[in-house]
Amino acid sequence: MLRLQNISKSFSGVKALQNVSLLFKSGEVHALCGENGAGKTTLMNIISGNIAADQGQLFWNEKEVKIGSVLESQSIGISIVHQEKSLVDSLSISENIYPVNQPINRAGLIDHYALSCKTKKLLAELQVGNLSPSMIVGRLSSPQKSMVEIAKALAKNPKLLILDEPTASITHSEAEVVFTIIRKLKEKGVSIIYISHRMSEIQQIADTVSVLKDGKYQGTVAGKTPVSDIVRMMVGRELLSAVYHSDAGKPIRLKIENISGKGFNDISFSLYKGEILGFAGLLGSGRTEMARAIFGDTKINNGTMFLNGKKYNPHHPFNAIDAGIAYLPDDRKTEGLFLEKSVAENIISTGLKHGFYKEKQIFNKAENLKEQLRIRTPTVKQLVRKLSGGNQQKVVLAKWMALKPELLIVNEPTLGVDVGAKIEIYKILKNLTAQMKSVLLISSELTELLLLSDRIAVMYNGRLKMILDKSEATEEKIAAFALGIN
Amino acid sequence: MEIKERLRDRIFSLGASIILLCIIMALVYPNKFPTLENFSQIMLNLSIDTIVAVGMMILMIGGMFDLSVGSIVAFAGGMAGYLMYYYDVNFIIAIIAALTGSTMIGFINGWLIAKIGINPMIQTLAMMGIVRGFALMLSGAGIQNFPYDFIYIGQSKLAGLQAPVWYMLAIVFVFGFLVNNTVFFRRYYFIGGNEKAARLSGINVKKMKIWGFVISALLAGIAGLLLSSRLGAALSTSGQGLELRVITAVILGGASLAGGVGKIWGAFLGVLFMALINNLLIISRVSGYWQEVILGAILIIAVGIDQLLLKRLDK
Amino acid sequence: MKKILPLLVYLVINGCQTPPRPNEKTKASLNETEKFITSDEASPNEEYVMITTAVNLPLYVNHDEKAFKEWGEKKGVRTSILGPSEWDVPAQASTIEQVIPGKPAGLLINGTDPGIAQVIRKAVDAGIPTIVYDSEIPNSGRHCFIGSDWYEMGKLQGDRMAKIINEHGKVACLGILGMENMEAGFKGFQDVLKRFPKIEFLGKYDDKANVETAAHITADLLAANPDLAGIAGFDSNSGPGIAISVKESGKAGKIKITTVDAEPEHLALVKEGVIDYLVGQKRELFTWLGAQFLYDMRHKTLPLSANDAKAGVIPIPNTVITGTIEIDKSNVDEFIRKK
Repeated sequence: MLRLQNISKSFSGVKALQNVSLLFKSGEVHALCGENGAGKTTLMNIISGNIAADQGQLFWNEKEVKIGSVLESQSIGISIVHQEKSLVDSLSISENIYPVNQPINRAGLIDHYALSCKTKKLLAELQVGNLSPSMIVGRLSSPQKSMVEIAKALAKNPKLLILDEPTASITHSEAEVVFTIIRKLKEKGVSIIYISHRMSEIQQIADTVSVLKDGKYQGTVAGKTPVSDIVRMMVGRELLSAVYHSDAGKPIRLKIENISGKGFNDISFSLYKGEILGFAGLLGSGRTEMARAIFGDTKINNGTMFLNGKKYNPHHPFNAIDAGIAYLPDDRKTEGLFLEKSVAENIISTGLKHGFYKEKQIFNKAENLKEQLRIRTPTVKQLVRKLSGGNQQKVVLAKWMALKPELLIVNEPTLGVDVGAKIEIYKILKNLTAQMKSVLLISSELTELLLLSDRIAVMYNGRLKMILDKSEATEEKIAAFALGIN
Repeated sequence: MEIKERLRDRIFSLGASIILLCIIMALVYPNKFPTLENFSQIMLNLSIDTIVAVGMMILMIGGMFDLSVGSIVAFAGGMAGYLMYYYDVNFIIAIIAALTGSTMIGFINGWLIAKIGINPMIQTLAMMGIVRGFALMLSGAGIQNFPYDFIYIGQSKLAGLQAPVWYMLAIVFVFGFLVNNTVFFRRYYFIGGNEKAARLSGINVKKMKIWGFVISALLAGIAGLLLSSRLGAALSTSGQGLELRVITAVILGGASLAGGVGKIWGAFLGVLFMALINNLLIISRVSGYWQEVILGAILIIAVGIDQLLLKRLDK
Repeated sequence: MKKILPLLVYLVINGCQTPPRPNEKTKASLNETEKFITSDEASPNEEYVMITTAVNLPLYVNHDEKAFKEWGEKKGVRTSILGPSEWDVPAQASTIEQVIPGKPAGLLINGTDPGIAQVIRKAVDAGIPTIVYDSEIPNSGRHCFIGSDWYEMGKLQGDRMAKIINEHGKVACLGILGMENMEAGFKGFQDVLKRFPKIEFLGKYDDKANVETAAHITADLLAANPDLAGIAGFDSNSGPGIAISVKESGKAGKIKITTVDAEPEHLALVKEGVIDYLVGQKRELFTWLGAQFLYDMRHKTLPLSANDAKAGVIPIPNTVITGTIEIDKSNVDEFIRKK
């Protein structure tokens, strides 16, 4: 259906793609794998006409095509669901789904009734009939937004649908819905290019898998190929699956007694020195809200907290920082990073206490942390926006490491991060505990929790349901508590 | 790479345009433009705007702006004039009172915006009207006959340049240094870059916002005092339209409405560029009908070339 | 460094130049004897510059600027009109300052605000024949002032207003608050009304020389005072603004309106019977006479001594009041026909 031949593209001297040739057959689900920065998104942008390739040709049904703009790619039947959300928060669902090709009535005006009907049909197909076309997108949850995003792409009746990490911000059950849709589309003969970091998903739905590494094509294998083989193609090294030993000591670092606030209720637990305490739960279970309250970003209505045996009552994040607590937010782009600032500036952002701003010292400090955390960037003067997701996440970590915190709260530390960077982030966290620092780990990836945590706390509906020891925790048990079944 | 980085800097491209403009003007009007008298006149005229622009630049780096500065300029002059003329207050006390009043206005702006969460545009727009009203009440039909000491501040000369020019240069230097080299002012770059992330990085965003408006209002107050001292009169209409002029100059000088970028020197160069164009229009006797058209066109060309240059460099 | 520091201090102290004290005589910057620049020959290149603020205001364009340009064409000399397009007095001041170094043959300055006195003094000190028109600028040292007597214009409006409302009822006035000439007009108006105990003066309102604002204020006044008898306007846009709201309320003719200026819209409203009385200014005379005086001063048309510039004699009038034009229904047609 679509064949790429010798596609190359470079950005200001850096080769993002080198001589990539790929074939996408009609009616297949073709997964595209690679670490962040491997060139997947660039390739998809070329296919969808967002950017132009420096070299190479595209063949659509064996006829050479030039795709100069998004409109052109849409007209031949290519639709893309972007990783970066392309929705306008202030508009309704139907307006978002039909930004240009709205149904028109005889007077040439937008036919709102038809628009609403068409939207309703699309939403029903996606099994999200509970959403009404007139709802404002800004009020939707992020999984709901992903659905709208997919609906928007489907509205153009594509022959080739590109899904760029559609499940990055949604839960497992919602991902199932996406898979059902993918299978349905496949039956209709629509080709799908599927990009995801979740290997299990690729195993589930992909017919074929192609791998990119550092902008180069690594090969194509069948969908049922074992994960370890695919990963080896991606990173060129084995996925680390060693069981970490525990560093947990006895002295209590943080003791929480019956705290309540907006979104969480009556929570008590203790966190020991050198311990990683995992927090499992569904989206909206109150984990993030609790973490933010401990960090002083939101108010605590009831209860008391003790840090190193002393009463601790933060009013603002800077109180928490002064007390030696750091918080890595789940959404690094909106809450963790200054995208238009350099790596060095991002790293220093937590250290703006007083005195003079000495650029040289800052660069040295940043350079050190860059080496320590292995942030891949030519220079610390590089804008963070230009880094890949994994490296961006390391910058957020670096900005907290610069303060040498006693307690690090990490919220989804490996969200949208490739396998290689993931392992490095795990190592960084374990390094901290080896120095008897404590880590509070919030994650929606059960494997991650089971691998890293000394104990796993499960939250449901704003309450702490259970704290499981590593020895007794299994995926099933955690899931049962998280769903409130137990 | 170094040169490329440099070209990317607005200060560099704006500086180049200014030099180019000067050369062209010197060639076309060799008798009128490149004279010491004309130069000192240009500097004098831009000094008031620049002082206000420094405060505006700090705010805009932090992703905010203040529409009430023009009114504060009139208010500060009016208040000092009122006290000196009607109550024979010593000029130093009058100055302190006027500056205190200005900072209070800034504090109210900042407090309501940061703590209550009023939209900065609405807040400062409303404040612009309120303060203009006060200025009108204070200076009425205009106050003249200030004490000599007060006139001295704005009308004495040093090395051929009138005092406001020196104050302006001092303020540009001091704030240029502070913004570049102190942690306090550096925080504005982070607040403007990503307010949420700044808060979560431990920056007291609300406090910094209040300070931003206070500094901007204080500088506007100083500008107002200098203006009235220089004119020897407090005018209730002074500073009208100043806010937009200054915001334009500051954006021209490298700030962005989104915040996070800009340099104090950029503010100075932005104002200088606009003052040169104004001087060009006067020297070439362009009639009032065309002034706005030409000014608008030049702004678009200046910013347009800049964008084209950036695109070229990004390739 | 040690050598430079005393040098620097020396430079600062010597370079410091204080402003003249009020009672100090300013030393002429010309050669010691001549107080202003004169020339024996008229040249087509000599330039007369008029500087106002709000250069695009129709009132200025149609009267002041038109007459000034016509004078220049007739005389065969260059005329330039400069100033900001908005009402921006400091910008007008800075324009004057930037024109002075070019030494034009004469300066005609619209006396928009007393605050420009300092810069007018600069022009005078530079030896440029300088005339202020429209409103007087005290302490400016200008060579001549040409304008209307606003107190008189206010009095004229007051007299007529009292007459047409039969000396009783509520009266308000609109204009730009804070402007010296307007304030004089308000005072003249109020001084007359004080003589009539049955007339209640509601106050003066700031319409910011804006038609819409004037209309808003009038509408509010009408709503608050159903028994309003008359409104007086003091800037060019007051009359049209007042007329809009009075017409909308259906009280045209019942509420008496007096105002200043005689633009076509004012005249049409008089013809319609909405406005009862206009006091017009002879604005053409301001700039025509002003330019002519500047020319006479420069070219010694009527010398009063062997060398006026040396003798310190200003060979043109000190103050010229051009008088007013009164318009009502009886003579409005003559003015409409002229346009």
